[in-house]
Amino acid sequence: MSSPVLSLAGIEKVFPNGVRGLSPVDLTVEKGDFVTLIGPSGCGKSTLLKLIANLHTPSGGKMSWWGGNFGDVGRKGRRMAFVFQDATLMPWATIAKNVRLPLDLEKVDRATADKRALAALERVGLGHVTEHYPAQLSGGMKMRVSIARALVTEPDLLLMDEPFGALDEFTRNRLDEEMARLCYEDGLTTLFVTHALHEAAFLSSRVMVMAARPGRIHAQYEIDRSILRNEEFRLSDQFAGISRELAILLEDASRESMIQQEMRA
Amino acid sequence: MMSSRTFSLLAPVTLGIIILGIWEGICRFWHIPPYLMPSPSAIWRALMLDGVALLHALLITLEITFAALIAAVVGGVLVAFLLVQSPLIERCLMPYVVIMQVTPIVAIAPLIIILIHNTPLALTACAALVAIFPVISNTLQGLRSVDPDLAAYFQMHKASRLQTLSRLRIPSALPMFMAGLRIATGLSLVGAIVAEFVAGTGGNSAGLAYQILQSGFQMDIPRMFAALFLITVAGLVLYAAAASLQRFALRHRS
Ligand SMILES: Nc1ncnc2c1ncn2[C@@H]1O[C@H](COP(=O)(O)OP(=O)(O)OP(=O)(O)O)[C@@H](O)[C@H]1O
Ligand SMILES: [Mg+2]
Repeated sequence: MSSPVLSLAGIEKVFPNGVRGLSPVDLTVEKGDFVTLIGPSGCGKSTLLKLIANLHTPSGGKMSWWGGNFGDVGRKGRRMAFVFQDATLMPWATIAKNVRLPLDLEKVDRATADKRALAALERVGLGHVTEHYPAQLSGGMKMRVSIARALVTEPDLLLMDEPFGALDEFTRNRLDEEMARLCYEDGLTTLFVTHALHEAAFLSSRVMVMAARPGRIHAQYEIDRSILRNEEFRLSDQFAGISRELAILLEDASRESMIQQEMRA
Repeated sequence: MMSSRTFSLLAPVTLGIIILGIWEGICRFWHIPPYLMPSPSAIWRALMLDGVALLHALLITLEITFAALIAAVVGGVLVAFLLVQSPLIERCLMPYVVIMQVTPIVAIAPLIIILIHNTPLALTACAALVAIFPVISNTLQGLRSVDPDLAAYFQMHKASRLQTLSRLRIPSALPMFMAGLRIATGLSLVGAIVAEFVAGTGGNSAGLAYQILQSGFQMDIPRMFAALFLITVAGLVLYAAAASLQRFALRHRS
């Protein structure tokens, strides 16, 4: 059997100022998984994602990417892409140039890079705005560009930190459907952070419910992968049931976070 | 209806014309002698009479202004890049940058003029010294104003130092730099004129400040005003040029 995409064992993070961002966390992400992290604000979701992206170094524990270490991330079959809460585009560059950025940094030749950037933009339905500038696009379109910039590297793991938090409900639902297609049809392994329970219920094959102070995994919840994630599912009783069960877990996690805080006070 | 742009141009121009009219009227009605307060028409006559000499002087001042601006921009950007390299370098150098800034140019100008024998060069140095500080501080702040998420993105994609500099830091610094450039443009002109005043250079390589000094000695007040008028026009043109350059450079960002 091949090694998992991600494997975290006892990963901890204590910040230099003494704040305990994460107490030991174990997490395994297999190929094709859509894992969602959900939990109250400050429970360490972003911290966990940044640790995985090697933007933070863990204070303890073991972490491996495709069974290896971070040095090999970026090679073929081990590509990782990150989508932030904000689109995080370069305002001075055209959409095409923004999407091409990761390829440019890898020194992929211009013609190939342009072709792949256009293909990535077409995948998110934005093939017609390549020569526009970010300031000319709406928030939802910018977020799509950000996703295209992640897809252009043909990632084997996509990390997303509350990518649609700033968008309206309608736009968010459309983008969620696109994300579901990318994962369940194209097989893109995704680790997703959200505040929104409905988003977690709609997208995930597994939900990790986190609690705060210190950040930890409180519970996990599996969702049938074979469900078709479409508009019909969103209106189904099955979806309502999943949402309810997740709500209970989340309520539990929040209560525990509060108790921990009171005990400390 | 008038567009707001036309209005914002028309309103101050109308006010200017009214003020000029009142000024002219007061001078004529009370027969105020031109050595106390010349009327606008007297100033205009002086400008027409001595236009060639004044324009020549303006050109000399502008040459110094541009040379100083270029020196300030090149020097300021280099210093900013140096400062941003390491906190240690910044700690060591920053106090001197500040000392340079807080010392009034009028006080150091005589020293510079004695040290540098070539007068135009000395004047340029003085003006550049006045203009360099906003370039340094704005470029420095600009180089630091990188979006932290974008910086994380570059780091995650294992971008080299050079790639991060050319694709992230420099473009991120551009808005602050352009604002600094705009301030520096105005200051170069101020610096050039202040330095000319201190140097008091005569001969045919004398700038507008010297023309003002000389007109003062000769009690030729209309000519003084005419020179002042030219400086103001030059300042306005420089300001507008710098502002449109700034707008052009940042046209895609909102
Ligand atoms: N660089 C840092 N230095 C010190 N403390 C930090 C740092 N980054 C995060 N923290 C703390 O670690 C904890 C977890 O933060 P994190 O940003 O991971 O939470 P989160 O779950 O993403 O919250 P949110 O849902 O609000 O985004 C918080 O208490 C936060 O204050
Ligand atoms: Mg967060």
